[in-house]
Amino acid sequence: MSTVTKDRTARGALAHPDVTRLDDVNRDVLKPLTGPPGKGWWMMLALCGAGIGMFFGAWGWQIYRGMGVSGLNAPVGWGVYITTFVFWVGIAHSGTLISAILFLFRAPWRQSIYRAAEAMTVFAVMTAGLFPLIHVGRLWHAYWLIPYPNSRFLWPNFKSPLVWDVFAVTTYFTVSAVFFYLGTIPDVAAARDRAVGLRKKLYQVISLGWQGTDRQWHHFGKAYIFLAALATPLVLSVHSVVSWDFAMSIVPGWHATIFAPYFVAGAIFSGVGMVITLTVPMRKFFGLEAYLTTKHYDAMAKLCLLTSMIVLYAYMSEFFMAWYSGEEIERTAFWNRLFGDYWWATWIMLVCNGMVPIMLWFKRVRHSIPALFVISIFINIGMWFERFVIVVTSLHHEYEPFAWGMYRPSVTEMMIMVGSFAWFGFWFLLFTRLLPPIAIQELKEVLPPPMRKQKEAH
Amino acid sequence: MTMTDGIKRRDFLKVLGVSSAGVAASGCSTSEVEKLLPYVVAPEEITPGVSTWYTTVCGSCSAQCGMWVRTREGKAVKVEGNPNHPVSAGGLCSRGHASLQHLYNPDRFAGPMIREGDNLRQGTWAEAEQLLAAKLRAASNVMYIGGNTGPSMNRLIDEFVSAVGGTRVEYDAVSDAALQEAARMAYGSTALPRYDIENARLLVSFGNDFIEYGSSPVAHNKGLSKMSAVDDHQSKGRFVYLGARLSTTGLNADEWIPIVPGTEAAVALGMASVIAGDVSDAGPYADVLRSYTPTTAASVAGVSEDAIRELAERFVADGPTLAMGPGAGANHRGATAAHIAVMILNHVAGNVGRTVHYDAGVTAAASSYADMESAVSAMAAGQVGVAIVHGANPAYTMPSASGFAEAFAQVGFKVSFASAMDETAAMADLIMPDRHFMEAWGDSMPRNGVMAIQQPVMQPVPHFDSKQAGDVLVAVANQLGNGLGSATFYEYLRSGHMEMHDASMGDFETLWADALRTGAVEHDMAMGMATGNAMDLQAPDTALSFDPPPMDSGGDLMLIVHPSPRFGAGEFSNSPWMQELPDPVSKITWHSWLEMNPHTAEQRGIREGDIVSVASGNGSVDVPVWLYPGIREDAVALAMGGGHTDMGRWATGNGVNVMDLLPSESEQVSGAQVTLVTSVTVTPTGERRRIATIEGSSDQHDRPIAPAVALADLGHAEEGDHEDDGHGPLMELQGVGGFVPVDANGGTPEAFPLAGTDHGEYADAHEKPRWSLAIDLDKCTGCSACVTACHSENNVPWVGEDQVLMGRDMNWVRIERYYEHVDATQAGELDVRFLPMMCQHCGNAPCEPVCPVFATYHTPEGVNVQVYNRCVGTRYCANNCPYKVRVFNWYRYTDENVPEPMNWQWNPDVTVRTNGIMEKCSMCIQRIRETENRAALEDGRPINDGEIVTACQQSCPAEAIVFGNIRDPNSRVSQVVSSERTYRVLDELINTQPAVNYLKKVTFHEVTGGHE
Repeated sequence: MSTVTKDRTARGALAHPDVTRLDDVNRDVLKPLTGPPGKGWWMMLALCGAGIGMFFGAWGWQIYRGMGVSGLNAPVGWGVYITTFVFWVGIAHSGTLISAILFLFRAPWRQSIYRAAEAMTVFAVMTAGLFPLIHVGRLWHAYWLIPYPNSRFLWPNFKSPLVWDVFAVTTYFTVSAVFFYLGTIPDVAAARDRAVGLRKKLYQVISLGWQGTDRQWHHFGKAYIFLAALATPLVLSVHSVVSWDFAMSIVPGWHATIFAPYFVAGAIFSGVGMVITLTVPMRKFFGLEAYLTTKHYDAMAKLCLLTSMIVLYAYMSEFFMAWYSGEEIERTAFWNRLFGDYWWATWIMLVCNGMVPIMLWFKRVRHSIPALFVISIFINIGMWFERFVIVVTSLHHEYEPFAWGMYRPSVTEMMIMVGSFAWFGFWFLLFTRLLPPIAIQELKEVLPPPMRKQKEAH
Repeated sequence: MTMTDGIKRRDFLKVLGVSSAGVAASGCSTSEVEKLLPYVVAPEEITPGVSTWYTTVCGSCSAQCGMWVRTREGKAVKVEGNPNHPVSAGGLCSRGHASLQHLYNPDRFAGPMIREGDNLRQGTWAEAEQLLAAKLRAASNVMYIGGNTGPSMNRLIDEFVSAVGGTRVEYDAVSDAALQEAARMAYGSTALPRYDIENARLLVSFGNDFIEYGSSPVAHNKGLSKMSAVDDHQSKGRFVYLGARLSTTGLNADEWIPIVPGTEAAVALGMASVIAGDVSDAGPYADVLRSYTPTTAASVAGVSEDAIRELAERFVADGPTLAMGPGAGANHRGATAAHIAVMILNHVAGNVGRTVHYDAGVTAAASSYADMESAVSAMAAGQVGVAIVHGANPAYTMPSASGFAEAFAQVGFKVSFASAMDETAAMADLIMPDRHFMEAWGDSMPRNGVMAIQQPVMQPVPHFDSKQAGDVLVAVANQLGNGLGSATFYEYLRSGHMEMHDASMGDFETLWADALRTGAVEHDMAMGMATGNAMDLQAPDTALSFDPPPMDSGGDLMLIVHPSPRFGAGEFSNSPWMQELPDPVSKITWHSWLEMNPHTAEQRGIREGDIVSVASGNGSVDVPVWLYPGIREDAVALAMGGGHTDMGRWATGNGVNVMDLLPSESEQVSGAQVTLVTSVTVTPTGERRRIATIEGSSDQHDRPIAPAVALADLGHAEEGDHEDDGHGPLMELQGVGGFVPVDANGGTPEAFPLAGTDHGEYADAHEKPRWSLAIDLDKCTGCSACVTACHSENNVPWVGEDQVLMGRDMNWVRIERYYEHVDATQAGELDVRFLPMMCQHCGNAPCEPVCPVFATYHTPEGVNVQVYNRCVGTRYCANNCPYKVRVFNWYRYTDENVPEPMNWQWNPDVTVRTNGIMEKCSMCIQRIRETENRAALEDGRPINDGEIVTACQQSCPAEAIVFGNIRDPNSRVSQVVSSERTYRVLDELINTQPAVNYLKKVTFHEVTGGHE
């Protein structure tokens, strides 16, 4: 990494005008780890804990009683669970995008946000991964989707996109978790040096005896770039495979070749949106304003704007193709999407994902962190509804008109959906207190070299 | 074999496996079965795992269809129509199938119930019989109220009633009294006319819903389908329905003339006057004909004169024709006159002796309601000491305005033979639970010359200490010292038949055994039925008015009350199969609904699902509205059978009882109950509810789901015709190595296996049969018998109203009903399409590749099978199924919904599914395997065509379904499928290559718009 440092130093320094001393970085970034957690944090954690209780309570009830406690039915076999699954997989996207792809593309603004984004990725996959389990009728047999030699001489059906999903999600989780962990090693070592007691022991184990020797830095750099290269295709593959869960079917509204790029763009869109949603309060609570500046948010906003346009293009293209195909059933499906029983979901999606981000064209909006925060919430809502629209409106009016039906999510489903945010939030809150939320070592690389005068002054 | 012979480890394990499997199997059953029959000395006729079939007579209604009952290990598990029966000839209706649920109804009485104050306590039979005998001895006036029973039971009751010096009141909730009276007056017949629907070329029904109820719904259904289906000469009979509301029967019509209710006589006479060039053709009714013309008919019936005149002209030109008078369910104050008018119409058209026979002596429920009215008066006056109710539930089926309940309460001692609680039994002092017909002896005479024996097919269900009413009567009569000459009813029955036996017919024992074995005996004895002069009209012996009868005013909408195709008059209501069977017309389950024309509703600002208060002078009910284009704008309709207050767990509280709205009135001429007389006001209550329907959309949305072809276009299919909907363009695209689809119209045997489908797990498909179904939509009448048959055969659970509301009905086959052309404002063509939709067993099944665990896959025989044990429940298959025929077990329906002993009805050959898994039509794979196994045991002979019959096919009265091997060019299914009408649903669009082939409905009118 040292090879590229020089080029980025100048641009990186511009992003952090208020950070002048390397020591400040350690102090500021490690403060949440060492300082008292504060009332707010505990309240948030308690809230998330309660949410997790609700989540597992509702899930347990569903396992005990049967899938009937959901609102799913005959035409609509997938609903809020799959919607939320795809939502979380989408969220999981941008972490690795920011850390791996932007790393390879040498985008300097990533240093301040990538740790949080990576953490978000890992926790989002952990959340998403629960949903296929939540939604299967017989959870106790879900392991049959995993290929392993068994006495039944039966393998999973490799033609099924659901099996691909198992591979895609587990691979993505493994690689992004390893990538996340690898990146934290030098920072955890820095935290270890400051920590005391149990926390110190923990960091000692996690940091794998990091001493900051040249040799270690050399291996670290190689491993990091290698993993970045490995993770990059996964960023594209995981959501492509998730999109094929739909596109491989023959359901009008699902069966479209545009699905893979459309889903990937949507995932980046929602993922970056979620990074903004998460880092704005984090920055505030832990006093990291100097490290997460409007420059970073401006860059993320531009990424949102780009992906929003891609997603909007995909919507348009879907509607256009439905009309252009001349295929009556396809046309009806998309007409129904806009003006049918679930018109409100579609319009929420269009407004949140297509209209609201138009504001990001304005620099003033991009530089207003409160405005970005609000827009990011819209993006989160819009992207959840996008998946809801795809899953539900396509299924409820399919080929056979006599079998058309309506789906109304049940309380249990909503509890599990809301609970999944608590589950995610719980891990993220722990992360902010246990691991350096900003990559210290990379940040230091972009700061100007320390001045003797400053050091003396210290 | 010794060890030295080298017993192989594998053989040893086999033996071990078999013996431990046996241990495991018996281990399973001990905890479940209450009265375990150890097969130490096996009863001769019972082989574990092998079905035994018994013939009997369906005792569910007065139609007395022949029935086969399949028993396994001594339990009845499935009922089917007996193909040897001369009347019903193989089909069975939904209600017949549901008789199995009445047999195992957990709400049956555990034993005789004796009232003590407000409570009923269970007593012994000896106690109950002594009590009854004592009361009869003491009572001054005994009244025996009962419905239609078999001839022997009828005789026994008569003898019993005269022995105790009582009176007998016959009562049937739905009765053909008006028709019977008309037949007596006009032709001197003491029985109902027999209709030969099959041979008519033009059938005109004046609101007669003959495939739903009446003298023989199954036989009439079969007749209708044979009459109206297109034949080899590309000719088909035409069916015209005249009535205010389209019933299931009406929906099958080719034309609908929505006449004002009550104007049947005017229209029939108007037609007859056109036909009869010389009015003297009408014999004694010549004067009547003179005063009725199409003009007068048109002025009262609300349809154009041309329509009537034109129909009349066709009615002679298209002969032989047949007109059927108003149905048993909708009698107005001029019902008898209407029937006689229709008889005149048939007479002048020369149909008597051709399509309608007055000398055939058809028996059915035809009791007079007037008798019941006087019985109520007698009871109310306190003149009845003991009232015995048998096979009837007047407290529910009589209008509340009749005051039956109040009058019945005045009776000194009330006895009921009800086997399960009903509204009348709830008032009784003594309940002597009768046996179900499958546990009891009886006989039937559906028409003159046909005698069938109803034999018990199993030991009485051990949970219920029941006794056959006949045995009770014999025993009580003996106690009273008025012995009826037999110790049991069986003896009585047999000796009666012995007496009647004519030596010329052969040895009695042989004949008896024959009757039991085949189910029915045909003979040419008159059986004491006066048939009168079956050819010439006689003058009426009572004054008749053919004018539209007066209707009660008070409301602004005419109330049509009809027996439910599922519940009859309410006697079938406590069956979850019937409750959950989508009504053939409305597709609604469980609750009641008010049918209203969409225009009427729009004018009044009523939306579907609005709960309205329907009020007449006699009462009011609150019921949700269902919008139905098949009803006149000035009428609303309610079905009977809902709103039970005391009839077991499934019936009680569901829907409303329409009898709360009706007056208690009988028609003056025949004494039939007047049910079509009330006008009602309909007021929204402001509340709404969701309708528990299985219907998504009744519009095909221009999709090739249930296409039709015009009769004129048949046989003129041009070469280019199929290119549009064929696979031509697809073939080009996919010819590079993917699927090469079969030609859309090439359902010929040579087309199988389809090129490109014999890969992977479909290997060696060439040597195996390819099972296939052919369903002729021109024959299907939408009666829904197949749905219940399938539930029964395949252990399909019911889910309850809440679950149906959530869209979770479990039907493996659903009858889709699409309106193409329904116009209630004028006479004209009617086009409603019925389509039985079940798993299509696609050759290129969308469900198969998406299943991650191979829980659904293709057998080499082309059956798309679902492996329940393997299913993890991702539901992807259901999402990807374009036909939406896969249903999911959201809860443990089979466990939670099925109380003991209802679980005795499970078919032991079919797995009972647990929650979390997918299921669907299996093409009755258990029947395929059973036949294959039998053929293998019989020296590996090949399976004959027609040997395997699926449950839906067996039950179909219309014979619309054919199952067989489509690779065999001589099989029936191959031949049926070779029709130019063959198509496969959506195949042309999505290349699913279904194994279910449909034959398009044939219409008289040109088929326009969308897909033909």
